[in-house]
Amino acid sequence: MLQVSDIDTYYGNIQALWGVSLRIDEAEIVALVGANGAGKTTLLNTVSGLLHPASGRIEFCGKRIDGMAAYAIVQLGMSHIPEGRRLFPDMSTRENLQLGAYPRRLWKHKEKTLEEVYKIFPILKEKESQLARTLSGGEQQMVAIGRGLMSMPRLCIIDEPSSGLAPVVVDEIFQIILRLRNEDIGIFLVEQNVQQTLEIADRAYVLENGRITLGGESKELLQQEVIRKAYLGL
Amino acid sequence: MIVRVLDIGIAGLLLGGIYALIAVGLTLQYGVARVLNIAHGEFIMIGAFITWSLYIIFGINPLLSLAICGPAIFTIGFLLYRTLFRRLRISSASPAAFEGSSMLACFGLLFIIQNLAILIWGADIKGYSYLAFPIRFWGQTFAANRLITLGFALAIGLIFYFFLTWSRLGKAIRAAAQDAAAAELMGINIDQVLALCFGFGALMAGLGGTLLSMSYKIQPTMGLEYTVIALIVIVLGGLGSIPGSFIGGLLLGLVGSIVTYIQPGLSLVAYYLLFMLLLLAKPTGILGK
Ligand SMILES: Nc1ncnc2c1ncn2[C@@H]1O[C@H](COP(=O)(O)OP(=O)(O)OP(=O)(O)O)[C@@H](O)[C@H]1O
Ligand SMILES: [Mg+2]
Repeated sequence: MLQVSDIDTYYGNIQALWGVSLRIDEAEIVALVGANGAGKTTLLNTVSGLLHPASGRIEFCGKRIDGMAAYAIVQLGMSHIPEGRRLFPDMSTRENLQLGAYPRRLWKHKEKTLEEVYKIFPILKEKESQLARTLSGGEQQMVAIGRGLMSMPRLCIIDEPSSGLAPVVVDEIFQIILRLRNEDIGIFLVEQNVQQTLEIADRAYVLENGRITLGGESKELLQQEVIRKAYLGL
Repeated sequence: MIVRVLDIGIAGLLLGGIYALIAVGLTLQYGVARVLNIAHGEFIMIGAFITWSLYIIFGINPLLSLAICGPAIFTIGFLLYRTLFRRLRISSASPAAFEGSSMLACFGLLFIIQNLAILIWGADIKGYSYLAFPIRFWGQTFAANRLITLGFALAIGLIFYFFLTWSRLGKAIRAAAQDAAAAELMGINIDQVLALCFGFGALMAGLGGTLLSMSYKIQPTMGLEYTVIALIVIVLGGLGSIPGSFIGGLLLGLVGSIVTYIQPGLSLVAYYLLFMLLLLAKPTGILGK
């Protein structure tokens, strides 16, 4: 479904990604792990069109997207739930969610989609008229994920959903991610929480200093010495 | 005494309605599109002069001019953003750099528009008389055109408020104001939305100009004073807050009317004083965070 081939991404003159290649198949959870500053967010932003690679190509559902604007890529069925949630702080939960269905073709059915999202996150229905900035961290992350689902994506890119959340809430978020995969949504997941992430992911890639250094089945990666040393502290 | 207070209050609202309209326009341009439009007042001036010309030359009813000036000036604003400001935004290294370069570009616009207006209409003060008959209520008399001005300003403000609150595009505008990159991830075409905002800002200025010309004298150099007033109002109301600008506009109108009652000619001085006091006491404005 997503094919990234040999991309280089720069911030001005500084190169942040070096020849990155990876793929994600339908309804698969693929994790991307790496240290702070490795370039994970940069890679996600390049895929979703917020940044553009200087070279290489990105294909999504058979379409070349590496030159497309982010707003146009959303309409192809990719949704990017950004690092730090990035809700619209002065809008209600409900309005934040509605905006996830902004493309015209989705806007018509937004109330129906909203009901579906409330089924996944019943707490959000209770808080639907509360301003986003007054929600708790966990609730905000749920709004961010729910908002990403409002565009009925085939691929969901999620950047560090567990950051700043209590362990119980993190478990809840991971359960929801599993549930999305079972509803045939592909997931591209960036996480600091390596152990838990590799447990739910089908496959994973390791990014170091802007380069993919390792990739494979997550079960196998969990057994590998380098991973256990560097990311699991074993 | 009570009659006098009422008199000053209503006169203040009459003035404030226009301030509110033009300040909402500037909020859209600065609060959302990030262009500190120093040439805002020039769009007001153009609106006023087009209305004047249409009335004097073709006898077109100034209220009808609202429907002519509005779309025309909206289009100018929209195209200006699509060409000039969009390019500046893309080539600017940071949002702060864009604010600087776009403000300088607006300075250029100010001189270009003002000089073109002087070429076309001459530098003299102009005016016309339209619906200038008095209307009496609560024992007071008011010029009909001022009441109509207030009515239209309030109606335009209200319609725009509902548009922002309820419509799909209105929600996109608010989202873009709060987090442009996140809005883009929702599928919102930011360039388009910012250009629309700049266009709507110009539209408000143009309509304000049309309404102004119905009860005040106009001249090609009138713009800057209104730019300054709009700037004061958007700080007063809280930068980026549309309801804040509207309320701030009405409030500043009241202040102006009180000061004019005490000492005509000092109102602009009073606005500056208020502005500086506000910056010291509550820099975030009335509805700011
Ligand atoms: N806007 C930017 N301008 C310049 N350099 C940037 C910018 N954003 C990120 N970088 C640099 O690019 C590199 C990769 O950053 P990125 O945010 O992608 O890392 P990350 O893996 O997501 O880290 P974290 O785990 O902390 O979120 C870092 O060295 C960072 O300093
Ligand atoms: Mg990151």
